[in-house]
Amino acid sequence: MSPVSPEMQAIIDRRSSVINKFKEELIRRLNLPYTPQDLHEDVSLLGAGLGLDSLDALEIVLCVENCFGIKIPDENISVLRSINTIVDFVIQEQDAKGGAR
Amino acid sequence: MRTTPLKSLLADAGATFGQRHGVESAISYADARTEYRRIRDAAAVTDFSFTQKFRIPEAGALDFLDNLLAGNVARTRFGRVLHTFLADDDGHLVADCYVANNDEEFVLLCESIVDDATLAGVLAAHGAAEAGMEDLTQSHALISIDGFKAWAVVKELFGADVVGLPYLSIETYQFEGEGIRLIRAGKTSEFGYMLLAPASCAGHLFSRAKELSEGQGGGCCGIAIHDALRLEGRFFNIQAEGRLVKDPLPLGLQWMIDFDKEKFRGSAAIRMRREEGLKQKIIGVRSEQVLSPGAPIFTSAGKVADVVVSCHSPTLDAHVGLALFPCDIAFAGLTCSLGSAKGPEVRTISMPPIMPRSLGVKLDEM
Repeated sequence: MSPVSPEMQAIIDRRSSVINKFKEELIRRLNLPYTPQDLHEDVSLLGAGLGLDSLDALEIVLCVENCFGIKIPDENISVLRSINTIVDFVIQEQDAKGGAR
Repeated sequence: MRTTPLKSLLADAGATFGQRHGVESAISYADARTEYRRIRDAAAVTDFSFTQKFRIPEAGALDFLDNLLAGNVARTRFGRVLHTFLADDDGHLVADCYVANNDEEFVLLCESIVDDATLAGVLAAHGAAEAGMEDLTQSHALISIDGFKAWAVVKELFGADVVGLPYLSIETYQFEGEGIRLIRAGKTSEFGYMLLAPASCAGHLFSRAKELSEGQGGGCCGIAIHDALRLEGRFFNIQAEGRLVKDPLPLGLQWMIDFDKEKFRGSAAIRMRREEGLKQKIIGVRSEQVLSPGAPIFTSAGKVADVVVSCHSPTLDAHVGLALFPCDIAFAGLTCSLGSAKGPEVRTISMPPIMPRSLGVKLDEM
């Protein structure tokens, strides 16, 4: 185990929970030929990287709604750049709603 | 040492030359900030002729390329391009590859970290001659047009229908009676187009592209600024983190691999490491301080990581980089210290950290 403070471990645990839930649902919905460990959180989702298309983008939005009850606005394409940018958005929205998990 | 067929033209345009893996290339034309803005705000033309380039007739291509490369070439449809890599027998990176299915041929572009002779030897040992492979490296130039307005430059060169080309596709256009293979691809996160041109017309093509780029407020760029742009846009750079880390798995390149393929060069080693599980992962970091490659990163409890590569981001006015962290703490959103436990702050971040202007452009605006 790497040396981190309890506060840092709490941040890691929360982020890891969101990432794992999202990845499992994404792999299932899009029938991706990868394990969760294969999907680096910074890989580009649309165009380059995984090369998902606009129909897949709809599935990603539904995936986030299904997992977390959070809607990604239509005009907010920057959120969909990577798993990490989606997770940032989810955590931000959860905190705005008063930390609902 | 191989040099570009465009050397005298680039020298006249003010290029400073250097060397990459035994190939002379134009490293820069102006200061880094000017070249950066040329791509982020306008359009820039870069000579990528150091790339090794090959043509394989369709009949011999599939078996040859699928046994060699990590991705699934057989599933690459006509007119489409696969982005994958070539590894050595130990499953370590040798070349970052684009493979284009172009009607009766496949085009293979290799940005490698080995010299021409070494790469040629690898390809020969895996059946290049039997596949009918033709080496275009010396006979062709590879010209890259990148930038927020790069689409306007190629539209002027080849006509309006080029604007509708999807990312990672190939089409052949005419220039001075010669066929130019155009691949819509790039690693700056702005619009990008790679033009594979016979040496006979490459000079005129480069000059015309330069003129049109200057008309958009841009100009020429060397290959050095592309290292910074790739990092900022979180595009894999074999010349930077690829060369240093070598293992595709901690680099997050699993998306380039078809694990269902029976075999490819290095597949046994890569599969074994995948089954063992990742110990380290490369993630993004950001600091107001310079991030020197090799600099240690600390938490309050001790050293946890090392910086691998970095650049200054003019868009963020901060230093961004990639660092190798143990997997159990390789997460964005952490505040660490640089150099020592009491050093200046460095944060782990989600990548890419910028929103490129090109992402916001709609087709009907082009």
